[in-house]
Order: sequence, then C-alpha cells, then structure tokens
Amino acid sequence: MARLELRRLRKRYSGSTDVLHDIDLSIDDGEMIVVVGPSGCGKSTLLRMVAGLEAISSGELVIDGECVNDQEPAERDIAMVFQNYALYPHMSVFDNLAYSLKNRGTPKAEIAQRVEATAQLLDIGALLERKPRQLSGGQRQRVAMGRAVIRKPRVFLFDEPLSNLDASLRVQMRQEIRALQQRLNITSLYVTHDQTEAMTMADRLVVMNAGRVEQVGTPMALFRKPATRFVAGFIGSPAMNFLTFSVNTLPDWLPRVPAETNEPLKGELSVGIRPEHIALTTLEDGHIEGCIELVEPLGSESLVHVRIGGHDARLVVRHGGMELPEVGQVTGLNFQGPFHLFDRHGQRLSTRLRLADTNCSMES
Amino acid sequence: MAPQLLIVLVFFFWPAITALRQSLYVQDAFGLGETFAGLANFTRVLASQSYHEALFNTAIFSVSVALGAMGIALLLATMADRVLRASRVYRTLLIWPYAVAPAAAGVLWMFMFDPTLGVLSRALAALGVHWDFRLNGHQAMALVIIAAIWQQMSYNFVFFLAGLQGIPASLLEAAAIDGAGPWRRFWTITFPLISPTSFFLLVMNTIYAFFDTFGTIDTTTSGGPGGATRTLVYKLYQDGIVGLDLGGSAAQSVLLMLMVGLLTLVQFRYVERRVQYH
Ligand SMILES: Nc1ncnc2c1ncn2[C@@H]1O[C@H](COP(=O)(O)OP(=O)(O)O)[C@@H](O)[C@H]1O
Ligand SMILES: [Mg+2]
Repeated sequence: MARLELRRLRKRYSGSTDVLHDIDLSIDDGEMIVVVGPSGCGKSTLLRMVAGLEAISSGELVIDGECVNDQEPAERDIAMVFQNYALYPHMSVFDNLAYSLKNRGTPKAEIAQRVEATAQLLDIGALLERKPRQLSGGQRQRVAMGRAVIRKPRVFLFDEPLSNLDASLRVQMRQEIRALQQRLNITSLYVTHDQTEAMTMADRLVVMNAGRVEQVGTPMALFRKPATRFVAGFIGSPAMNFLTFSVNTLPDWLPRVPAETNEPLKGELSVGIRPEHIALTTLEDGHIEGCIELVEPLGSESLVHVRIGGHDARLVVRHGGMELPEVGQVTGLNFQGPFHLFDRHGQRLSTRLRLADTNCSMES
Repeated sequence: MAPQLLIVLVFFFWPAITALRQSLYVQDAFGLGETFAGLANFTRVLASQSYHEALFNTAIFSVSVALGAMGIALLLATMADRVLRASRVYRTLLIWPYAVAPAAAGVLWMFMFDPTLGVLSRALAALGVHWDFRLNGHQAMALVIIAAIWQQMSYNFVFFLAGLQGIPASLLEAAAIDGAGPWRRFWTITFPLISPTSFFLLVMNTIYAFFDTFGTIDTTTSGGPGGATRTLVYKLYQDGIVGLDLGGSAAQSVLLMLMVGLLTLVQFRYVERRVQYH
C-alpha cells in the first residue's frame, strides 16, 4: 500500500517529439485509478515509466514521499500485469508464482505456503503443476494476477490485462480484479482503451489524449460534466452526439441568451447531447427532423441512427419502446437536456444556460 | 519417385553402402583385385596406435570447438540482442559482417599466426611465448581449434541471435519487476528459452567438428606436426587418398559414421530431455 505521485512526468523517445506531456497525478492509498484513452495516446508508456521499464525524461515519480526516478524496477516494489500476461512459458504455474519470492531469497517453506494461499485466493489451486501453454486465456489471466499479488507489492500496475479475453470472460474478470483490488486494498494504476471497463472499475478516471491528461475525476463526474469535447465523446456508450452551430444562428431549442459569460462567444459551438436525451417524435413536435438510417435492437432498448440533413450529422438515439421504427422513415427528434456546450477549442463552456421553451436549467 | 528421395539415395545411401561394402574387402597392391576380408579391416584399424591418437585428438578438438564456438557466439549474440532491442536500425548492419566472416577467416588466420610474418606471433614473442605451430603440437592443436571455432561461430551467432530475438521483451521485463538481476534473468529466463536452439547447435557443432573441419585442418596444419592435429576425418583422408589403404579408410569411415550417429543419439536421448519446448 502506498501513495503514488506523478509530478510533471514527461517522456521523449530519442529522435521523436514528446510522447507524454507533463503528466500530473496523485494516487491515494488503496485507490484504483484507471487511465483510459485511445490506442497510441501514451498509456503504456506512462505505466512503463512508473514500473521503471522506461526512463523518465523529466519530472518526478514519488512513491510514499520518496523520489524513485533512478530506482530499478525491482527496487520500486511494484507488480505489473501485462497485456499478453508474460507468463514464463518454461515454468509451471507454481514456479511462475514463486519466481519473485525465490529471487528475493524467501525460505522454501514460506514460498510453498504463500503460493498455496495465493492459488486459493485466485482459485487456481488445481493448476499449479501445469505449464502456461496448458491453460485457457482466463486461467492465464488468473495466474498473471497471482504472480502480481503474491509478494504483496506497494503498487499494482495493469496494462490492458483483459484485452485478450472474450467478451463474457472480460466482464467476469473485471469484476474479480476490482473485488480483489478492494479486498487487498492495493494502490493501483490500470490502463485500458475500453471506456466501459474504465467506468466500472475506477475510483477515479484519467482520460488521456495524445500524451496529455484531458480530465481526472470519478466516473460519474466525468460522465455528467466532461471538461472537454474529447472526454464527452469518449466517456459513455453509445457515444455522445454532437451538433455544430455558429453562435449567430443558434436554434430555437437552445437558449438564446447565455447568461454570466465572461466573454462573448465567437465562431462555432458544439452542442453535445447523449443518446438517452433525444426522443423520437412526430414531425410537428420535433426540434429537428431526420431520416432513420439504421436500427440496432438490443433487447431492452434499441439504438436508432438518424441522418440529419442540414447538419450532415448522424445522431444516435436510445429508443426505449418495444416497437421498432422503420428504416427510411422520416422522423422528428426532440432534444431534452442536459446539453453539453463546447467552444471551438473543445473546452467546456461554463455558462449557465436555460432552455428557451422549457424552464429547466442545464448542467453547468 | 520424389526427387528429394532420389537425391538422398544418390548422395548419401549410395556412398554409404559403397563404403560399407569396401570396408569388408582388401585391395591388392595395384588396386586391380580385391578379396573378402570380413572384419579384418576393422580390427586392424582399431588396434593401431595412430587411430587411438586420432580418436583422442578428435575428442579434445570437438569438445573445444563445440563449446568455444557456441559459448563465444552466445556471448556475442546476447550483446547484439541488447543493441537490437534498443534500436532496430542496427539489425542489418550487424548481420552481414558475420555472414562474410568465414570466407575471409582462413586467409586472415594464416596472416596473423604465421610464425615469421604473423602479427600475433610477434605479439606472443613479446610476451615470451615462442610461437611455432609447425613444431609445437599443442600450439598446432590450439591453432586449429581457434580456426575452427572462428569458422563455426558466425553460424552459431545467427541462430542464437534469432533465438534471443524470439524471446518477448515482456518476459524479461516481468522478470526484472519480479526482482531478477541481469545475470539471473539470463540463466532463469533467456537460457532455458533458447535451449531448443542450443540443442540444435550442439548437434550441428558436433557434426561440424567431426566432419566439416577437414578443410580447416588441411590448410592450417595438414594434421601435423607429427600427427598432433590428425583427427579421425583427417586420418581417414590421409590413409585413403594418400596412403591408398582403401579397405582401412572405408572401415574408418564406417566407424566415424557410427560414432557420430551414436553421439547424436546420446544427445537426443539425454540432452534433449533438458530442452524446454513451449
Ligand atoms: N520505443 C519507442 N520509441 C519511439 N516511440 C515509441 C516507443 N514506444 C512507444 N512509442 C510511441 O509512443 C506513443 C504512445 O505509445 P503507447 O504508450 O504504447 O500508447 P498506448 O499504450 O496508449 O496505446 C505512440 O505514438 C508510440 O508510437
Ligand atoms: Mg498500450
């Protein structure tokens, strides 16, 4: 258990531009931080810097008040679960689990006892004699977890540990990992590109984009109040819809008078509306009309994709009714708040806005 | 019949059968007639002092060459692997000198170790070692061993490097996080994982030392001085081609084949057990 602090961490590979720009983050004792972002945004690099596998170009990495920039991976007392598990193929499950203890000169009897306990914790007791190649994907995942857990590290690192599993196993394992992490109360840094995984597992989420932190916060805070258009589009599934307007031609259904603005708005404005805040309606009642292009029934609800002529945009609507609308049909769309407004730089507008026709105030 | 089978038949079984047949006959002095001799050729060869010496030489030579060529190649390959993992650019740069090396090697060795002109001979003289492999049997043996090691090293290097490059970086990283230092990582992760390569090379190097070193010995020492570098394959050549003892050399070649076959069998039976396939 430990407190982890990243202070203006920066990474530059020789001969390339910065891959990570001034990452600031502090992780509390026992907290599970999930770093989420698209592939190539620098998540693995960040994790590898924390593990000590990649040199830190500038900034400080502090564990429990001590700067560990110059420490070897082994000295940092960190465990990592790799995307491909990185189990030692020539060793039995027992030896895989015991390896780190052997390296530290733990007595044989204690090793046996701790392997036993860890195997029980992860329900892999029957597999101890097997080689990794004789295990299924889920079992390998458990062994990889066991190898991380066994020596009671100060910090857990996970690099997309579930991406090689099929969908149902992924759901199961993410619950198990989360339960185990909470039970052992180990400070964790978990990296994934999957926003559902991120939302469900995190105490706090870190959304990264192109080597920068876009926003840090609890999953619900990020969902309800995304700080940037990027975060708004990334968090939530199906993704938020965006419509772009010029500030001079704002539609009727959006507030005409932005109150409490510090400076006048210029140029273009992005309005974000989540799929659950749009309703299909008749042409007369709709704020806007469009043509239904695709209907994806999910059972309890359906996703209806509607092409909006004037905006050259396709909106996704969460449709709760059991009656499926027909493809090709022209329909009205009714927008209900909250709306999320972003300026032309993608920054959230912190203005208090009111819907013109209703009286409900929007998220600010 | 498949062409491959035909080739095997013509280039391996036909000579083997001829040798086997010939080992059971004695030629007359003019090579005109031959008489069946049973195992007489074999008993004669096995009883001769010079055959025992050649056997001893071969043992020393083969063990030194196999261990030396593999050990040095592994060391170099490990260092090359480090460089390559850090940057991919070096890959082609590194491979080609090793591919060219053997051709240049023979000439190079002669230059360096020539007792009167060689650079290394003079360096050794400065150290108080009188270098003359034409007179000193131990020095001659050392020279052919070094030359054979040099010849075989590039082959081993390429295989070892390929084996090392095949080990995922994440395994070594996981081991580093698990608290293993570089030395321990090598012996507990890298070495077991390249054991299939090592085993294959052990078989190939043994065969190389037994058979393929004929040319190296012929150009450097011609088996001398006084038979000090006469290995089994070289003795076979001398007795057969130079001494015209066809029956005796045929018997020797049969024995040599048996020996290598047996050695390979032993390696497969005992060494291969320790090999980690995964
Ligand atoms: N060894 C390296 N040398 C140069 N660039 C690298 C290296 N490793 C990763 N990168 C670059 O750093 C960026 C971030 O990579 P990575 O951390 O693996 O992203 P992620 O894990 O989020 O997919 C990528 O643009 C990648 O090309
Ligand atoms: Mg990655």
